[in-house]
Parts: sequence; C-alpha cells; structure tokens
Amino acid sequence: MQKTVRKKANNGFFANLWKHRAHVVMALPAFLVLLFIMYVPMIGLTLAFKKYDYSAGLFGSPWVNFENFKFLIASKGEFFLMTKNTLMYYVIFTLVGTILNVVIAIGIDQLVFKRMAKTMQTLMIIPVFISYAAVQFIVFAFLDRNTGMINNVFGTNYRFYAKAGLQYWPLILTVVKVWKDTGYGSVLYMSVLSGIDTSLYEAADIDGANKFQQIRHITIPSLIPMVTVMLLLSVGNLMHSDTGLFYQVTRNIGQLYDATEVIDSYVLNSILNSGNFGYTAAASLFQSVVGLLLMLFANWMVHRIEPENALF
Amino acid sequence: MQKTAVQQPPKKLSTHEHKKIGPGQIILLILIMIFTIFCFAPVLLVFISAFTEETWINSNGFTFFPGTHWSMNGMNSVLRYGSQLLQSYIVTIGITVVGTFFGLLVMSMYAYSISRPGFRFARFLSVFVLIPMLFNGGQLSGYIVFTSWYGLKDSLLLLILPLCVTTMNVIILRTYIANSIPGELMEAATIDGAGDYRTFFQITLPLLKPSLAAVGFMMATAYWNDWQNAQLYITTNAKKPLQLLLINIQKSIEFLLNNNNVPASVRAAMGGTIPQYSSTMATVVVVIAPIMIVYPFFQKYFVKGLTVGSVKG
Repeated sequence: MQKTVRKKANNGFFANLWKHRAHVVMALPAFLVLLFIMYVPMIGLTLAFKKYDYSAGLFGSPWVNFENFKFLIASKGEFFLMTKNTLMYYVIFTLVGTILNVVIAIGIDQLVFKRMAKTMQTLMIIPVFISYAAVQFIVFAFLDRNTGMINNVFGTNYRFYAKAGLQYWPLILTVVKVWKDTGYGSVLYMSVLSGIDTSLYEAADIDGANKFQQIRHITIPSLIPMVTVMLLLSVGNLMHSDTGLFYQVTRNIGQLYDATEVIDSYVLNSILNSGNFGYTAAASLFQSVVGLLLMLFANWMVHRIEPENALF
Repeated sequence: MQKTAVQQPPKKLSTHEHKKIGPGQIILLILIMIFTIFCFAPVLLVFISAFTEETWINSNGFTFFPGTHWSMNGMNSVLRYGSQLLQSYIVTIGITVVGTFFGLLVMSMYAYSISRPGFRFARFLSVFVLIPMLFNGGQLSGYIVFTSWYGLKDSLLLLILPLCVTTMNVIILRTYIANSIPGELMEAATIDGAGDYRTFFQITLPLLKPSLAAVGFMMATAYWNDWQNAQLYITTNAKKPLQLLLINIQKSIEFLLNNNNVPASVRAAMGGTIPQYSSTMATVVVVIAPIMIVYPFFQKYFVKGLTVGSVKG
C-alpha cells in the first residue's frame, strides 16, 4: 500500500488525484449525468451537415456539407423571421425585466411597512411557479374573443388569436413575461440589498443626502455586480427563448408566427411534427454557436472593464 | 477567489429607514400594491373561474365578480378524469420527489468536490460543468440521441435526468459551500479522523441546508412544471404527468372548436369529458395549487440560499 502511494507521488497530478479519490467518486454521478445528457447529444449537431435518414440513423445518414445551411438562408422568410424575433424578444425582455427587477427590489427595500412588503413580495413571486401549460389558460381568459375579459370589459371585439391580432403579440408576450418573472427576479437583487452596510446610509444621512441621492450613490452601485452577472448569464441564452411562452401562450397558432415564432419553438415544432431534421439541426447549430460566441464576448468585455465581475 | 455577489448573513429587511412616514412612503406603497395586484389578480381569476357557473362564463365572459353565480360543477367534472388525474398526480409527484432528491445529492457532492482546496482535478471539473451552459446540442440532438441511441422512448427517466443536474444549481451550491461554510470545519473534521465521505455527509451536508432548500424548491418547481419533455417523449397514458394532461385538454378543446362537423355520436361519446371553461380552470387549480401551498414554507430560504457567484476556481 505504502509503496503504491510513494510510486504515485512521483507524478504529481495522479498522486493528487489518488489523494482526492473520494472527491473523484463523489463528483462521478453528476459527471456521468452531464456526460450522457449534455455532452453526448452535442454529437447530434453533426446532423446539421447531413441529410437525416430515419432508417440509417445519425451516423448512417449521408453528408451533404453545407446544403442545410444554404437551404436555411435561401428560405429567407422563416429563418430570418425567427432569428429576428428571438433577438427582438431577448432585448425587450432583458431590458424591461432588469429594470423592473431592480426597481421593485429597491422599492420593497425602501418601504417602511415591512410586514406588508413581505406579504406583497410573497404574492408577487407566485406566477413564477405556474407552468406555461397552465399560464396559457389564464392568458386565454383575458384575450379570448367571446369570453375574454379584455373584450368584455372594454366592449371591444379584438381577435387576438388570429391574424388580425398579430400586432398586439409583442406587447402581450412582454406583459406575460413581466407578470411571470419579475417578482422572483427581484428576490436576487433583494438579497444584495439586504447585505448593504446600514452605516453607509447613516453616514449619507448625516451628510445631508436625501433618499434619491442615497439610492443613486449607495444602492444602485451595490447592485451593479449582480446586474452584471445576471446579464452575462442571460447573454449566453440570447439565442434561446422561453419556449413555453412562445409555444404554449401563443397556442402555437400558425397565423401568429410572424410575431411569435422563435428558433426554439421552430425546433420544437419540427420535432413534434417530424419536420426536416437536417434544417432543424442547422438552425440549432447556428443557435448554439452564436450563443457561445456571444457569451465569450460578453465575459471578455466584463473582464476588461471590471475583472472581478467576470463569470470565468 | 473573487465573489461577485455580496454574501452576508440575512438580516431582517434592512433597517435604515426613519420611523416617520412621509407622502413618499405612501406613494411607494400604492405603486408596489398596484404591481402586486397585477401579479396576483390573474391567479385569483383562475380560482374564481373554477367555481363560477359555466353558463355565466359563456354569456358574460371570465370575471372577478360572478355575483351569486358560484358552482361546484367545474370541480366535479375534473373528478371525472378520475383515475387518469390520480395517475398523473402520482407520476408528477414521483418524478418531482425522485428528481429533486437525486439531483440535490449528486450536485452537492459535485459542488463539494470542486470546492476542495488542493484538489487539482477540480479545475477540469469546474470547466466541465460550465461548458453545457455555454454550448449545448439543443432539443433536437437530445431528442435523437435519447430516443434512438439510448432507446429511451416513453421512459420516465427522460422526465428525470435532463433536469437533475444544471450548471446554475451547481454554481449556487458551490458558492454557498465556498462562502458560507468555514473551511476550518472540514479541516478539523479531517484532523479528528473523519474520512472524506463522512466529512461531507456529517459536516458539509447539514450546513448546506439553506442552500439545498432553496435550490431544491426551484428544482421541484421545474419538475412539477415540465411540460416539454413530457410532450416530446411520453405517449402512454399511465406515464403522463399533470402538465401533459393540461395540454391534452387544450388540444381537445381545439379539436372541438375546429370541427363543427364532429358527428353527434362522437360528441355524445365524448360527452363526459368535453372540457368547459370552468372545468378547465378547475384543472388548472388542481395542477398549480400544491406548489402554492408548499411555497410559503420555502420562501425564507430564497434570499440566503440562492446567491450566485463566479465560477472561477
């Protein structure tokens, strides 16, 4: 036993590995799950360069080089549309979401009615726990032509779920997203606010700073690191959308695709309706590669500006 | 090792305000109250509609104030799904419990391992868990690999495994171990002769509880609400979780709306299960109520347990 240990000690890394063998064993289950669930499927992206043949499978399908990409770009309409929608909704959601998260967090933190603030926060978080499969029924209760609350209250006759309602969907989806995620999103910022040293505020008070000045010079700067991390994390998901929002809430209605189709919902539709897997894989690869580049770029930017806020 | 999020023992909501209540406070209160109503009213509508008379909804639409037109018919008709509803409940509860506990165990072991000082392989493991967040195969590749290579079609494993290890959760647990559990405790345990496993299970794991509670609750919600994997992979009725049941209801509504020429005999045959507005909402209630009941008990862990840090090793 001792002999083996000494032998291993000669090549540092393996000796270290042996010394920490228990940690290797403990990391193993999650490692295997990641390997089989996250890593192996990456091979599936080679399909982007193949013509998928159900009977031949992934490896047996013939290579077609860049045919799938050529087709995607040639079919201008749909590919550009879904890319545009994906980007557009990312920008809107991130902008509106971040601002609201911060505003709500600061608002609740500043409130002197603590008991009430707590209760309101509890109620605000609830929507995040409702699945989109259920949310779509709630949205329907507001938007339906006949029984929908909006049409009934305002005495109007909007047809939101048809081509005529197309223009309203960016707004509808933004409202649903804000409704669902803001309460929970603000919790993360609240955790930062609760960590601010109260003596900072006291000192500012003595110096005669009013509430707004205190928020501007103490509260907001302390939130910047968290905002950076959250933005950075979101950039990596730029090409990914909240699939449920675009697939369930829109009821996957074809007439609304101009305003609601994103890459993720296109991919999901393609799988469920056995679409052309080659094109779909090409779109997926595009999505993954662009996501990766954006993430690396964002991290690099943060590294240059404020190294300690960078994610890796 | 830099940490991006400020980690402090959670105080009661900060105490830096004066006791005087000015007009600013009142305005702030009203604004936040309006936002709270905006968030909660739609949830309330679900519960109200579930107990509103069907004919009232048909003629007046969904409303917060159905007057005296309350009814239990919606709830009663949900019970007509009977055995399927019960079966779906069992499936959903099963995957939620198994997935959450399994995921928490393997992720906290992983997070513990990669935060051990002097463990050189940890750097590789940190990168290994980070990469899937930066680059992944997407839904289609997963679908093809899981179904044709692993041969997992219509398997509950596909409802459990894809959600059980996520980069974010490993980072959260790792941050908590690194920042909130003193390393000296683990060292002391080792000096006292505790093995590596014992140190983890008897020292680290109990101290990790706040983080486990927060992450675990978020995982449980993700499992409970997962409709996508169910829709992609599950075909047998006996394995359908609650969310898939909801989706099927919507599909059958659409089928009825889009097919005016459904023969009377078919309609009659479907008679018992034709979904109505109130019964649909009642189903939604049945699906979302359990989380809403459990959630307040976990809320206190959210702030202290969910702090995200950098993944730099």
